Amino acid sequence: MIRQINIYHLYPAQLNLYGDRGNMLALSRRAQWRGIDLRVIPIEPGDQINFEQCDLLFMGGGQDSDQLLVAADLKKRRPEMRRAVEAGMPVFAVCGSFQLLGNYYTAVSGEKIGGLEILDLYTEAGNKRLTGNAVINCPLWQPAKTLVGFENHAGKTYLGPELQPLGTVLNGFGNNGLDKKEGAVYKNVIGTYLHGSLLPKNPWLTDYLLAKALKHRGQDSTLRELVDSIEIAAHHRAIHIAGSLRHRMRSTRA
Amino acid sequence: MNAVHKEATKAGGLRNRLFQVKKTGAVIIGKALIAATRLLGRGGTTLPGRLAIRIKPDLAELLAARLLKGTLVVTGTNGKTTTSALIKNILIDAGYSCIHNQSGSNMSWGVASALISSASWGGAIAADWALMEADEGAFPKIVQDIRPRGVVVTNIFRDQLDRYGEIDRIQEAIGRGLQALAAGSFQAINADDPSLVSIGGLGDKERLTYGLEIELAEDSFQNTGRDLKTCPICKKELTYERIYFAHLGHYHCPSCNFRRPRPDVQLTGVASNPDGSNRLEINAFGRNLSINSPLPGTYNYYNLLAALTCSLALKIPEKQVLRTLEAANPSFGRMESFAIGDKVLVMALIKNPVGANEVLRTILKTAGNSTLLVAVNDKIADGTDVSWLWDVDFEQLAAVLTVPDRFSATFAAGLRAWDMAVRFKYAGLDLTKVQVEEKTGAALRRALQATPAGGTLYVLPTYTAMLEIRRHLNRMGYGRPYWEDR
Repeated sequence: MIRQINIYHLYPAQLNLYGDRGNMLALSRRAQWRGIDLRVIPIEPGDQINFEQCDLLFMGGGQDSDQLLVAADLKKRRPEMRRAVEAGMPVFAVCGSFQLLGNYYTAVSGEKIGGLEILDLYTEAGNKRLTGNAVINCPLWQPAKTLVGFENHAGKTYLGPELQPLGTVLNGFGNNGLDKKEGAVYKNVIGTYLHGSLLPKNPWLTDYLLAKALKHRGQDSTLRELVDSIEIAAHHRAIHIAGSLRHRMRSTRA
Repeated sequence: MNAVHKEATKAGGLRNRLFQVKKTGAVIIGKALIAATRLLGRGGTTLPGRLAIRIKPDLAELLAARLLKGTLVVTGTNGKTTTSALIKNILIDAGYSCIHNQSGSNMSWGVASALISSASWGGAIAADWALMEADEGAFPKIVQDIRPRGVVVTNIFRDQLDRYGEIDRIQEAIGRGLQALAAGSFQAINADDPSLVSIGGLGDKERLTYGLEIELAEDSFQNTGRDLKTCPICKKELTYERIYFAHLGHYHCPSCNFRRPRPDVQLTGVASNPDGSNRLEINAFGRNLSINSPLPGTYNYYNLLAALTCSLALKIPEKQVLRTLEAANPSFGRMESFAIGDKVLVMALIKNPVGANEVLRTILKTAGNSTLLVAVNDKIADGTDVSWLWDVDFEQLAAVLTVPDRFSATFAAGLRAWDMAVRFKYAGLDLTKVQVEEKTGAALRRALQATPAGGTLYVLPTYTAMLEIRRHLNRMGYGRPYWEDR
């Protein structure tokens, strides 16, 4: 029997800022290479979302003006989305969407914009952008694996006491440049500031999400090993670049 | 008595004379550094200006004020280099002398470097015009510094997000630059770009617009990134009657009545000539003109209209302008050809998804036994964030690779060669034909070797990778050093 999963791609026209297409491509290709029938269902603002049918919700990053539009629309679906998350629906949220999953966002003006309250975190606008290559140590696996990406955010995010980060910062700024935490994990929800695109150079995270989606559908979640030599070479080069003097000297720009 | 000296005596006093010393000192140090960096075989287009403005922050302003006719600035995400090269050629053919920061060093210190290198050791400048290409982020500062008589803004696309954050911020920077323009100056902007047209606060400045009025085949690539989906005024969805590429087209907002203005300069028709050039029908300020243009691609229609609008605003005779435009060659790094033995190397800069997609589309139109080299660096001038590679439709190459005798080999090079290789893999390219070589020199040699006799090697580098490849080509005896371009 052919395994099948549905990925709901939330507002692809609005939330597509940092090469999020790369994340979708990584999921699609790696499913395709294993003969898994992966369907991407684009969700536009105003569409009905049947969370029952969703095996992985993907939320990308948007620019400020689009982000506000999306936040207003998404808040209407908060109760159903919350129920689905508690029931184990996998969610992968990058940048602006990661912030949106939190309790609130405080703008530079002091205005508080409410979030979806799915992750116990809040974000404060900063005047200095945290920009550069980043490497984190991620305990989703034993032993932990590294994840490499690029971060670019003015918002500083702080996690509540119970909320686990996605990883510990080895290089870069992470959520706020202070506490060495990057991203957040709650049940099957992963939020992160890392793009780059994140998934192509971290194939184990792509496979983690695919396995979670298969499992959520009640299907066999074992994934055949693939030859990932190119991805792994790119991963190691990115770790090297993030640690290089050339990169560190310019990564703290405002 | 030269102009510089006059200024010093006019104001008088020890403080002013010290100022004068500081300025001349800054020019001398700048010029000495330019000489030194050229001896080292590099362009000397950044560091000298950087240091000189550290010593004398208003140096560019003082030097620019010496020009006989004034300054012009070209900014926007894509097309700055081609547009400013066209305007420069028009000015020169019309009998003016013109200073130009043509090697793409378009931050405020690059502008200062260009002025310093044209100044005498005493700080005098004998030129009619300075035409400066400005990075969008540096645009407000450059406008303040050199007070242009006219500016051209080509478009706003997603570009190097690590430097500017988001498109909203680029638009804000361009808006600030336009606000800073002096009364009586003009701005020529792209009417097909809603994010430019929505910039208000014109005051007594003259705004000229240009745009396309032609039918084009519908954009077949879904992901060229329509960056602006919402009305820049009221944030509701924008309706498009025509899309030329990305968010450029004929648009209006059903909610707030924001709409595309009727352009002053319009491209009304395009027909292909037997020699590969295009015959363009243009209506400029109500007059019908036609031009045989050798420049390929829709993006070059915009560049040509921008240069035409600016030149006519400067009251340069129409006949003169058309003659120069017909003779134009694709400019520095934007689509250059080199003959290398019995092979041809075609180089086109890539720096963001929209530009790269246009380049891919253009090179895929030309058939032949060809090879491809994509060189990606992640230095500041390239953009340190390489995630934009995922928004480029490299999938176009995979479809072509199944056809025999097209790209017989594909090379990934540069500091981010492995990122590029991953991109090729997920684009579905045949990996047995993909080779990775980080060093651009070695990659260039291998790619040339892999190119069959009579074939073409297409080289698509990011900005600093292009500089490296040019240095390698120079060493091999092909092409002039870039600071010696016309």
